[in-house]
Amino acid sequence: MIRITINGKVTQASEGETLLKVIRREGIDIPALCHHEAVEPYGACRLCMVEITKEEWNGWSKYVTSCLYPVEPGLIVKTHSTKVIEMRKTIVDLYLARHPNCAEIQQLADEYGVTKTSYQTVVDGDNCILCGICTRICDEMGFHAISMVGRGHGKVVAPPLDEAPANCTGCLACAQNCPTHFIEFEDKGNSRTIWGKKFEMITCEKCGKTTITKEFADYLAEHRELPREYFNICDECHRRSTALDMGRIASWSKEVK
Amino acid sequence: MKARFIVSPVLCIGCRTCELACAFAHAIDGKLGKSRIYPIDGGFKELWVPVTCLQCEEAACVKSCLVNALQRNPETGAVELNQEKCVKCMACVAACPFGCSLLDEQHELVVKCDLCGGDPACARFCPTKALEYKPIKGSPKKIAV
Ligand code: SF4
Ligand code: SF4
Ligand code: FES
Repeated sequence: MIRITINGKVTQASEGETLLKVIRREGIDIPALCHHEAVEPYGACRLCMVEITKEEWNGWSKYVTSCLYPVEPGLIVKTHSTKVIEMRKTIVDLYLARHPNCAEIQQLADEYGVTKTSYQTVVDGDNCILCGICTRICDEMGFHAISMVGRGHGKVVAPPLDEAPANCTGCLACAQNCPTHFIEFEDKGNSRTIWGKKFEMITCEKCGKTTITKEFADYLAEHRELPREYFNICDECHRRSTALDMGRIASWSKEVK
Repeated sequence: MKARFIVSPVLCIGCRTCELACAFAHAIDGKLGKSRIYPIDGGFKELWVPVTCLQCEEAACVKSCLVNALQRNPETGAVELNQEKCVKCMACVAACPFGCSLLDEQHELVVKCDLCGGDPACARFCPTKALEYKPIKGSPKKIAV
Protein backbone atom coordinates (compact mmCIF):
# COMPACT_ATOMS: atom_id res chain seq x y z
CA MET A 1 0.00 0.00 0.00
CA ILE A 2 1.13 3.49 -0.87
CA ARG A 3 0.09 6.59 1.05
CA ILE A 4 -0.55 9.76 -0.87
CA THR A 5 -2.29 13.03 -0.09
CA ILE A 6 -5.01 14.37 -2.37
CA ASN A 7 -6.36 17.86 -1.71
CA GLY A 8 -5.15 17.65 1.87
CA LYS A 9 -6.61 14.23 2.59
CA VAL A 10 -4.37 11.21 3.13
CA THR A 11 -5.44 8.13 1.23
CA GLN A 12 -4.23 4.63 0.33
CA ALA A 13 -3.40 3.44 -3.15
CA SER A 14 -1.91 0.27 -4.51
CA GLU A 15 1.30 -0.03 -6.45
CA GLY A 16 0.85 0.50 -10.18
CA GLU A 17 -2.43 2.39 -9.91
CA THR A 18 -2.70 5.65 -11.76
CA LEU A 19 -3.42 8.93 -10.03
CA LEU A 20 -6.68 9.32 -11.94
CA LYS A 21 -7.99 6.05 -10.53
CA VAL A 22 -7.29 7.12 -6.98
CA ILE A 23 -8.69 10.61 -7.56
CA ARG A 24 -11.92 9.12 -8.88
CA ARG A 25 -12.13 6.62 -6.06
CA GLU A 26 -11.98 9.57 -3.69
CA GLY A 27 -15.05 10.93 -5.45
CA ILE A 28 -13.23 13.94 -6.87
CA ASP A 29 -14.52 15.06 -10.24
CA ILE A 30 -11.92 16.02 -12.83
CA PRO A 31 -12.47 15.89 -16.58
CA ALA A 32 -10.81 12.99 -18.40
CA LEU A 33 -12.22 12.95 -21.91
CA CYS A 34 -9.81 10.50 -23.49
CA HIS A 35 -9.94 7.97 -20.67
CA HIS A 36 -11.68 4.60 -20.80
CA GLU A 37 -10.99 1.73 -18.41
CA ALA A 38 -11.20 -0.86 -21.20
CA VAL A 39 -8.03 0.47 -22.84
CA GLU A 40 -4.58 1.68 -21.86
CA PRO A 41 -4.28 5.36 -20.87
CA TYR A 42 -3.49 7.63 -23.77
CA GLY A 43 -2.83 11.14 -22.48
CA ALA A 44 -4.37 12.94 -25.42
CA CYS A 45 -6.89 15.38 -24.00
CA ARG A 46 -4.64 16.82 -21.22
CA LEU A 47 -7.72 17.70 -19.17
CA CYS A 48 -6.91 15.32 -16.32
CA MET A 49 -3.83 17.40 -15.49
CA VAL A 50 -3.09 17.79 -11.75
CA GLU A 51 -0.38 19.42 -9.66
CA ILE A 52 1.98 17.14 -7.76
CA THR A 53 4.74 17.74 -5.25
CA LYS A 54 6.54 15.97 -2.40
CA GLU A 55 7.77 17.08 1.01
CA GLU A 56 11.39 16.82 -0.20
CA TRP A 57 10.86 18.81 -3.38
CA ASN A 58 11.42 22.07 -1.46
CA GLY A 59 8.35 23.82 -2.76
CA TRP A 60 8.75 22.72 -6.37
CA SER A 61 5.79 21.15 -8.07
CA LYS A 62 4.99 19.71 -11.48
CA TYR A 63 1.94 19.25 -13.64
CA VAL A 64 1.19 15.77 -14.88
CA THR A 65 -1.61 13.97 -16.71
CA SER A 66 -3.14 11.92 -13.90
CA CYS A 67 -4.41 9.21 -16.26
CA LEU A 68 -0.81 8.25 -17.09
CA TYR A 69 0.93 8.96 -13.80
CA PRO A 70 1.49 6.01 -11.47
CA VAL A 71 1.17 6.65 -7.73
CA GLU A 72 4.37 7.11 -5.73
CA PRO A 73 4.83 7.13 -1.96
CA GLY A 74 4.53 10.58 -0.45
CA LEU A 75 2.91 12.31 -3.42
CA ILE A 76 0.96 15.43 -2.53
CA VAL A 77 -1.69 16.04 -5.19
CA LYS A 78 -3.82 19.07 -5.90
CA THR A 79 -6.62 18.54 -8.40
CA HIS A 80 -8.04 22.06 -8.36
CA SER A 81 -5.19 24.45 -7.56
CA THR A 82 -5.37 27.90 -9.15
CA LYS A 83 -2.69 26.94 -11.68
CA VAL A 84 -4.37 23.65 -12.59
CA ILE A 85 -7.70 25.35 -13.14
CA GLU A 86 -5.99 27.98 -15.25
CA MET A 87 -4.39 25.29 -17.42
CA ARG A 88 -7.65 23.38 -17.77
CA LYS A 89 -9.39 26.59 -18.76
CA THR A 90 -6.87 27.18 -21.53
CA ILE A 91 -7.40 23.67 -22.87
CA VAL A 92 -11.17 24.03 -22.72
CA ASP A 93 -10.82 27.38 -24.47
CA LEU A 94 -8.91 25.70 -27.31
CA TYR A 95 -11.43 22.88 -27.55
CA LEU A 96 -14.22 25.42 -27.72
CA ALA A 97 -12.55 27.13 -30.67
CA ARG A 98 -12.07 23.82 -32.47
CA HIS A 99 -15.48 22.29 -31.67
CA PRO A 100 -17.84 25.23 -31.10
CA ASN A 101 -20.98 23.15 -31.62
CA CYS A 102 -20.06 20.21 -29.41
CA ALA A 103 -22.51 19.92 -26.50
CA GLU A 104 -20.05 18.08 -24.23
CA ILE A 105 -17.36 20.72 -24.79
CA GLN A 106 -19.89 23.50 -24.23
CA GLN A 107 -20.87 21.92 -20.93
CA LEU A 108 -17.25 21.66 -19.85
CA ALA A 109 -16.69 25.28 -20.84
CA ASP A 110 -19.69 26.23 -18.72
CA GLU A 111 -18.28 24.36 -15.74
CA TYR A 112 -14.95 26.12 -16.06
CA GLY A 113 -16.50 29.51 -16.68
CA VAL A 114 -15.25 29.83 -20.25
CA THR A 115 -18.11 31.75 -21.81
CA LYS A 116 -16.45 32.53 -25.12
CA THR A 117 -13.33 31.22 -26.78
CA SER A 118 -10.40 33.61 -27.01
CA TYR A 119 -9.14 31.94 -30.20
CA GLN A 120 -10.43 31.98 -33.72
CA THR A 121 -13.37 29.61 -34.08
CA VAL A 122 -13.13 26.84 -36.65
CA VAL A 123 -16.18 27.42 -38.80
CA ASP A 124 -16.96 23.95 -40.10
CA GLY A 125 -15.46 22.12 -37.13
CA ASP A 126 -16.89 18.67 -36.40
CA ASN A 127 -17.43 17.13 -32.96
CA CYS A 128 -14.63 14.56 -33.04
CA ILE A 129 -12.13 15.55 -30.33
CA LEU A 130 -9.62 12.90 -31.52
CA CYS A 131 -9.52 11.21 -28.12
CA GLY A 132 -8.96 7.86 -29.84
CA ILE A 133 -11.32 5.97 -27.55
CA CYS A 134 -13.14 4.43 -30.53
CA THR A 135 -10.02 3.28 -32.37
CA ARG A 136 -8.39 1.98 -29.20
CA ILE A 137 -11.48 0.02 -28.16
CA CYS A 138 -11.79 -1.39 -31.68
CA ASP A 139 -8.14 -2.52 -31.51
CA GLU A 140 -8.59 -3.93 -28.01
CA MET A 141 -11.54 -6.01 -29.20
CA GLY A 142 -9.34 -7.34 -31.97
CA PHE A 143 -11.11 -5.84 -34.98
CA HIS A 144 -8.78 -2.98 -36.04
CA ALA A 145 -11.54 -1.71 -38.31
CA ILE A 146 -10.95 2.02 -37.83
CA SER A 147 -7.91 4.15 -37.14
CA MET A 148 -6.59 7.71 -37.04
CA VAL A 149 -5.85 8.89 -40.55
CA GLY A 150 -3.87 11.97 -41.61
CA ARG A 151 -2.04 14.53 -39.50
CA GLY A 152 -2.53 17.92 -37.94
CA HIS A 153 -5.68 19.69 -39.12
CA GLY A 154 -6.56 16.81 -41.41
CA LYS A 155 -6.50 14.12 -38.76
CA VAL A 156 -9.70 12.07 -38.66
CA VAL A 157 -10.98 8.70 -37.56
CA ALA A 158 -11.79 6.54 -40.55
CA PRO A 159 -11.74 3.02 -41.94
CA PRO A 160 -8.87 2.14 -44.28
CA LEU A 161 -9.19 3.87 -47.67
CA ASP A 162 -12.50 5.29 -46.46
CA GLU A 163 -14.21 2.15 -47.64
CA ALA A 164 -16.63 -0.04 -45.69
CA PRO A 165 -14.20 -1.82 -43.33
CA ALA A 166 -13.98 -5.56 -43.90
CA ASN A 167 -13.08 -6.24 -40.25
CA CYS A 168 -15.95 -4.31 -38.72
CA THR A 169 -18.57 -6.59 -37.15
CA GLY A 170 -21.02 -3.82 -36.34
CA CYS A 171 -20.68 -4.30 -32.56
CA LEU A 172 -21.23 -0.55 -32.11
CA ALA A 173 -18.68 -0.25 -29.30
CA CYS A 174 -17.04 2.75 -31.03
CA ALA A 175 -20.28 4.71 -31.25
CA GLN A 176 -21.45 3.70 -27.77
CA ASN A 177 -18.29 4.97 -26.13
CA CYS A 178 -17.57 8.14 -28.10
CA PRO A 179 -17.58 10.88 -25.45
CA THR A 180 -19.12 13.38 -27.88
CA HIS A 181 -21.54 11.00 -29.63
CA PHE A 182 -19.94 11.86 -32.93
CA ILE A 183 -20.00 8.45 -34.60
CA GLU A 184 -23.12 7.97 -36.63
CA PHE A 185 -24.98 4.73 -37.14
CA GLU A 186 -28.46 3.67 -38.07
CA ASP A 187 -30.53 0.80 -36.73
CA LYS A 188 -33.55 0.25 -38.92
CA GLY A 189 -35.73 -2.83 -39.01
CA ASN A 190 -33.32 -5.72 -38.96
CA SER A 191 -30.37 -3.88 -40.43
CA ARG A 192 -27.63 -1.71 -39.00
CA THR A 193 -25.37 0.68 -40.87
CA ILE A 194 -22.10 2.03 -39.52
CA TRP A 195 -18.90 3.20 -41.22
CA GLY A 196 -20.67 2.79 -44.55
CA LYS A 197 -21.17 -0.92 -43.97
CA LYS A 198 -24.56 -2.55 -43.76
CA PHE A 199 -25.23 -5.44 -41.39
CA GLU A 200 -28.05 -7.87 -40.93
CA MET A 201 -29.22 -8.17 -37.33
CA ILE A 202 -30.16 -11.41 -35.64
CA THR A 203 -33.89 -11.51 -35.03
CA CYS A 204 -34.99 -13.70 -32.13
CA GLU A 205 -36.44 -16.93 -33.47
CA LYS A 206 -39.21 -16.80 -30.89
CA CYS A 207 -40.29 -13.18 -30.53
CA GLY A 208 -38.64 -11.39 -33.44
CA LYS A 209 -36.70 -8.87 -31.34
CA THR A 210 -33.37 -7.82 -32.88
CA THR A 211 -30.20 -8.48 -30.88
CA ILE A 212 -26.65 -8.17 -32.28
CA THR A 213 -25.40 -8.35 -35.85
CA LYS A 214 -24.97 -11.75 -37.49
CA GLU A 215 -21.35 -10.93 -38.17
CA PHE A 216 -20.64 -10.18 -34.52
CA ALA A 217 -22.31 -13.44 -33.42
CA ASP A 218 -20.37 -15.39 -36.06
CA TYR A 219 -17.15 -13.81 -34.83
CA LEU A 220 -17.89 -14.63 -31.17
CA ALA A 221 -18.87 -18.21 -32.01
CA GLU A 222 -15.71 -18.74 -34.01
CA HIS A 223 -13.17 -16.99 -31.79
CA ARG A 224 -14.57 -17.50 -28.31
CA GLU A 225 -15.71 -21.11 -28.45
CA LEU A 226 -19.37 -20.31 -28.11
CA PRO A 227 -22.05 -22.42 -29.78
CA ARG A 228 -23.57 -20.31 -32.55
CA GLU A 229 -27.09 -21.45 -31.59
CA TYR A 230 -26.80 -19.57 -28.28
CA PHE A 231 -27.39 -16.46 -30.36
CA ASN A 232 -30.62 -17.59 -32.00
CA ILE A 233 -32.99 -16.18 -29.39
CA CYS A 234 -33.05 -13.00 -27.32
CA ASP A 235 -32.29 -12.75 -23.61
CA GLU A 236 -35.93 -12.61 -22.59
CA CYS A 237 -36.80 -15.76 -24.55
CA HIS A 238 -33.70 -17.42 -23.09
CA ARG A 239 -35.08 -16.71 -19.61
CA ARG A 240 -38.47 -18.08 -20.56
CA SER A 241 -37.02 -21.28 -21.95
CA THR A 242 -34.82 -21.63 -18.85
CA ALA A 243 -37.95 -21.41 -16.70
CA LEU A 244 -39.66 -24.08 -18.79
CA ASP A 245 -36.65 -26.41 -18.66
CA MET A 246 -36.19 -25.99 -14.93
CA GLY A 247 -39.95 -26.19 -14.45
CA ARG A 248 -40.04 -29.57 -16.11
CA ILE A 249 -37.30 -30.85 -13.84
CA ALA A 250 -38.86 -29.31 -10.74
CA SER A 251 -42.24 -30.85 -11.59
CA TRP A 252 -40.75 -34.30 -11.04
CA SER A 253 -40.24 -33.45 -7.39
CA LYS A 254 -43.53 -31.64 -6.94
CA GLU A 255 -46.86 -33.27 -7.45
CA VAL A 256 -48.26 -31.37 -10.39
CA LYS A 257 -51.98 -31.38 -10.85
CA MET B 1 -15.92 -19.28 -2.09
CA LYS B 2 -17.66 -19.17 1.25
CA ALA B 3 -21.27 -19.69 0.32
CA ARG B 4 -23.49 -21.01 -2.42
CA PHE B 5 -26.64 -19.60 -3.96
CA ILE B 6 -29.42 -22.17 -4.13
CA VAL B 7 -32.66 -21.89 -6.08
CA SER B 8 -35.55 -24.26 -5.24
CA PRO B 9 -38.34 -23.68 -7.77
CA VAL B 10 -40.70 -26.02 -5.89
CA LEU B 11 -40.82 -23.50 -3.06
CA CYS B 12 -41.36 -20.41 -5.23
CA ILE B 13 -44.88 -18.93 -5.03
CA GLY B 14 -44.30 -16.32 -7.75
CA CYS B 15 -44.68 -13.36 -5.39
CA ARG B 16 -41.88 -11.45 -7.15
CA THR B 17 -40.49 -10.07 -3.90
CA CYS B 18 -36.99 -11.02 -5.08
CA GLU B 19 -37.45 -8.97 -8.24
CA LEU B 20 -38.34 -5.92 -6.20
CA ALA B 21 -35.53 -6.50 -3.70
CA CYS B 22 -33.03 -6.80 -6.53
CA ALA B 23 -34.23 -3.62 -8.24
CA PHE B 24 -33.95 -1.73 -4.94
CA ALA B 25 -30.54 -3.19 -4.15
CA HIS B 26 -29.26 -1.95 -7.52
CA ALA B 27 -30.82 1.51 -7.55
CA ILE B 28 -28.66 4.34 -8.85
CA ASP B 29 -29.29 7.96 -7.85
CA GLY B 30 -32.62 7.04 -6.34
CA LYS B 31 -33.85 5.30 -9.51
CA LEU B 32 -34.56 1.57 -9.37
CA GLY B 33 -32.10 -0.67 -11.15
CA LYS B 34 -33.17 -3.41 -13.52
CA SER B 35 -33.86 -6.61 -11.62
CA ARG B 36 -31.40 -9.39 -12.31
CA ILE B 37 -33.87 -12.07 -11.20
CA TYR B 38 -37.20 -13.06 -12.76
CA PRO B 39 -39.71 -15.52 -11.31
CA ILE B 40 -41.25 -16.95 -14.47
CA ASP B 41 -44.11 -19.38 -14.99
CA GLY B 42 -42.50 -22.81 -15.17
CA GLY B 43 -45.14 -24.24 -17.47
CA PHE B 44 -46.97 -26.24 -14.80
CA LYS B 45 -49.79 -25.20 -12.53
CA GLU B 46 -48.50 -23.27 -9.55
CA LEU B 47 -44.91 -23.78 -10.48
CA TRP B 48 -42.65 -20.79 -10.74
CA VAL B 49 -38.98 -20.67 -11.55
CA PRO B 50 -36.90 -17.76 -10.28
CA VAL B 51 -34.55 -17.36 -13.25
CA THR B 52 -31.27 -15.76 -12.29
CA CYS B 53 -27.57 -16.10 -12.94
CA LEU B 54 -26.11 -19.26 -11.46
CA GLN B 55 -22.55 -18.00 -11.92
CA CYS B 56 -21.57 -20.77 -14.38
CA GLU B 57 -18.12 -22.18 -14.05
CA GLU B 58 -17.38 -21.87 -17.76
CA ALA B 59 -19.52 -18.83 -18.28
CA ALA B 60 -20.62 -17.82 -21.78
CA CYS B 61 -20.69 -14.16 -20.75
CA VAL B 62 -17.04 -14.25 -19.66
CA LYS B 63 -16.05 -15.97 -22.90
CA SER B 64 -17.98 -13.49 -25.01
CA CYS B 65 -16.48 -10.36 -23.46
CA LEU B 66 -13.64 -9.12 -25.66
CA VAL B 67 -12.44 -6.53 -23.13
CA ASN B 68 -12.43 -8.69 -19.98
CA ALA B 69 -15.07 -6.63 -18.25
CA LEU B 70 -16.54 -9.77 -16.71
CA GLN B 71 -14.49 -11.37 -13.98
CA ARG B 72 -15.12 -13.74 -11.13
CA ASN B 73 -14.93 -12.45 -7.61
CA PRO B 74 -13.09 -15.25 -5.79
CA GLU B 75 -14.67 -14.27 -2.46
CA THR B 76 -18.30 -14.60 -3.52
CA GLY B 77 -17.94 -16.75 -6.62
CA ALA B 78 -20.01 -14.23 -8.59
CA VAL B 79 -19.06 -13.20 -12.10
CA GLU B 80 -19.02 -9.43 -11.77
CA LEU B 81 -19.39 -6.92 -14.57
CA ASN B 82 -16.96 -4.03 -14.32
CA GLN B 83 -19.12 -1.10 -15.36
CA GLU B 84 -16.12 1.12 -16.11
CA LYS B 85 -14.58 -1.41 -18.48
CA CYS B 86 -17.77 -2.48 -20.26
CA VAL B 87 -17.99 -1.08 -23.80
CA LYS B 88 -21.69 -1.95 -24.14
CA CYS B 89 -21.22 -4.23 -27.14
CA MET B 90 -24.07 -6.49 -25.93
CA ALA B 91 -22.07 -9.64 -26.65
CA CYS B 92 -22.73 -11.11 -23.20
CA VAL B 93 -26.43 -10.24 -23.35
CA ALA B 94 -26.67 -12.13 -26.62
CA ALA B 95 -24.44 -15.00 -25.52
CA CYS B 96 -25.85 -16.05 -22.14
CA PRO B 97 -27.97 -19.15 -22.82
CA PHE B 98 -30.03 -18.40 -19.70
CA GLY B 99 -30.69 -14.77 -20.55
CA CYS B 100 -29.06 -13.48 -17.38
CA SER B 101 -26.94 -10.67 -18.79
CA LEU B 102 -29.30 -7.78 -19.30
CA LEU B 103 -29.55 -4.26 -20.59
CA ASP B 104 -30.74 -1.78 -17.98
CA GLU B 105 -32.40 0.64 -20.39
CA GLN B 106 -33.04 3.35 -17.84
CA HIS B 107 -29.44 3.61 -16.67
CA GLU B 108 -28.03 2.63 -20.08
CA LEU B 109 -25.88 -0.07 -18.54
CA VAL B 110 -25.30 -3.74 -19.16
CA VAL B 111 -25.92 -5.58 -15.88
CA LYS B 112 -25.91 -9.01 -14.33
CA CYS B 113 -26.29 -10.62 -10.90
CA ASP B 114 -23.34 -9.87 -8.62
CA LEU B 115 -24.72 -11.77 -5.61
CA CYS B 116 -24.90 -8.30 -4.09
CA GLY B 117 -21.25 -8.56 -3.14
CA GLY B 118 -21.94 -11.47 -0.79
CA ASP B 119 -25.34 -10.72 0.76
CA PRO B 120 -27.97 -11.35 -1.92
CA ALA B 121 -31.01 -9.14 -1.35
CA CYS B 122 -33.33 -11.57 -3.16
CA ALA B 123 -32.48 -14.43 -0.82
CA ARG B 124 -32.79 -12.16 2.20
CA PHE B 125 -36.34 -11.18 1.25
CA CYS B 126 -37.64 -14.43 -0.21
CA PRO B 127 -40.51 -15.42 2.14
CA THR B 128 -40.45 -19.14 1.32
CA LYS B 129 -36.72 -19.84 1.16
CA ALA B 130 -36.96 -20.65 -2.53
CA LEU B 131 -33.77 -18.62 -2.73
CA GLU B 132 -31.02 -19.27 -0.24
CA TYR B 133 -27.43 -18.27 0.18
CA LYS B 134 -25.87 -20.95 2.30
CA PRO B 135 -22.39 -21.05 3.78
CA ILE B 136 -20.27 -23.88 2.45
CA LYS B 137 -18.88 -26.03 5.20
CA GLY B 138 -15.60 -27.78 4.64
CA SER B 139 -14.00 -28.05 1.24
CA PRO B 140 -16.35 -26.87 -1.50
CA LYS B 141 -15.13 -29.66 -3.77
CA LYS B 142 -16.67 -32.30 -1.53
CA ILE B 143 -20.16 -30.91 -1.74
CA ALA B 144 -22.58 -33.03 -3.69
CA VAL B 145 -24.80 -31.11 -6.07
S1 SF4 C 1 -21.55 -5.68 -22.99
FE1 SF4 C 1 -19.83 -5.11 -21.65
S2 SF4 C 1 -19.56 -6.84 -20.26
FE2 SF4 C 1 -20.86 -7.55 -21.97
S3 SF4 C 1 -19.42 -8.44 -23.43
FE3 SF4 C 1 -19.67 -6.29 -24.06
S4 SF4 C 1 -18.04 -5.20 -22.99
FE4 SF4 C 1 -18.18 -7.20 -22.00
S1 SF4 D 1 -28.15 -11.90 -5.58
FE1 SF4 D 1 -28.49 -9.71 -5.68
S2 SF4 D 1 -28.03 -9.28 -7.80
FE2 SF4 D 1 -28.33 -11.44 -7.73
S3 SF4 D 1 -30.51 -11.75 -8.21
FE3 SF4 D 1 -30.31 -11.65 -6.02
S4 SF4 D 1 -30.73 -9.52 -5.50
FE4 SF4 D 1 -30.25 -9.60 -7.67
S1 FES E 1 -7.78 11.62 -19.58
FE1 FES E 1 -5.70 12.02 -19.16
S2 FES E 1 -5.07 13.07 -20.92
FE2 FES E 1 -7.16 12.63 -21.39
